[in-house]
Amino acid sequence: MGENFEAQNRADDDAFAERIAAPLRVPEHAHRSFEKRVMDRVRAEGAALYPARDSATQSWWRTKRVIRLSPLAGLALAAGITGIVAFSSIAIESRIGARGQPVVSAAQPVAASDTVQLVRFVFVDARASSVELVGDFNEWTRGSTALRLSGAPGVWAASVPLSPGKHEYAFIVNGTRWVADPLAVKTSDDFGTESSVIRVSTPGKTET
Amino acid sequence: MTGPSDAELIAAVLGGDIESFAGLVRRHQDACARFAVRMLGSRVDADDVLQSAFMRAFRALRGCKDPEHFGGWLYQIVVNECRTYASRQRRREQRFPTSSAAIEGAVAPGSDEDVDVDVGGHIGRALSTLPSEQREAFLLKHVEEMSYEEMAELTGVSVSALKMRVKRACDTMRGLLDGVYHG
Repeated sequence: MGENFEAQNRADDDAFAERIAAPLRVPEHAHRSFEKRVMDRVRAEGAALYPARDSATQSWWRTKRVIRLSPLAGLALAAGITGIVAFSSIAIESRIGARGQPVVSAAQPVAASDTVQLVRFVFVDARASSVELVGDFNEWTRGSTALRLSGAPGVWAASVPLSPGKHEYAFIVNGTRWVADPLAVKTSDDFGTESSVIRVSTPGKTET
Repeated sequence: MTGPSDAELIAAVLGGDIESFAGLVRRHQDACARFAVRMLGSRVDADDVLQSAFMRAFRALRGCKDPEHFGGWLYQIVVNECRTYASRQRRREQRFPTSSAAIEGAVAPGSDEDVDVDVGGHIGRALSTLPSEQREAFLLKHVEEMSYEEMAELTGVSVSALKMRVKRACDTMRGLLDGVYHG
């Protein structure tokens, strides 16, 4: 009897709490100037708190090259690209600058494709332990496109077949650091995070 | 998610890219705003508190031990900032009415039509009369819909004490809103 009474009381309390809590769950939005005001303060204090890494020691740089390829009939890429390619060798001339800052230059590769182009992404960071490429072409999926050490120490590279058109991408270094390409056109998502844009031309043209 | 994770944004800030903090602000500001507005009863006050909370988070970013759960860590800071703010308010005795008459006047129901259009207002005013620790517990439990275990982790208060605070908050609210909600 007593237990039933307590259970009924709890049920009444829960029902009452739910009735009065429901209107309070309506979302609230920060004022539209909120982000700006916070970031003004962040900028005023931030340089002292989190100084930018010295460029000589940070030493990262990347470049990309578009390689046109020839189609190989009867095969299709798992990503749904209808043409598959044969490609010529890729030459990278790489040298380390006098102050230890990597300098990378790329030779021009050459193979043709009717439907896709192989884009080679190169990222240079002597201190990186891993570099990944994320973009709309792999649905921004971590772990799907890893760059591999290639050539000189600290030179990471991966070749990705891309269909003609605009693609957005970024690198993830050491699993945590999001890096947009400083040499490419930038774009921002809804959170203001920068990524880079590459435009893959239709066969016969090259643009980045 | 089409952008970097919280951990990636934090790593960028710690590496000197302080602009990445804007991504964290945008992602979490609204989630924190509801609690702060309900807790303080004022959007202006909530705005002040949220600014302080985000700046505290920015300054202490190296101390965020689990960057993938930055949101929870930030929320804890917001709750603490609200407590501090409410405590200052209580000392000034400027915001919340303290006499029974004032409380009753604040939540006295009007016509049935008034109940329909202003029911949230009555509840908000009744909420504002609760002691801050009860208001905090009620909001976390029934508005933010946390478990008591999550609340205990967030606030550092025992589960049994939190249950008691929620119970007392409900009892007080029931008395104040009896004319509005017959339940």
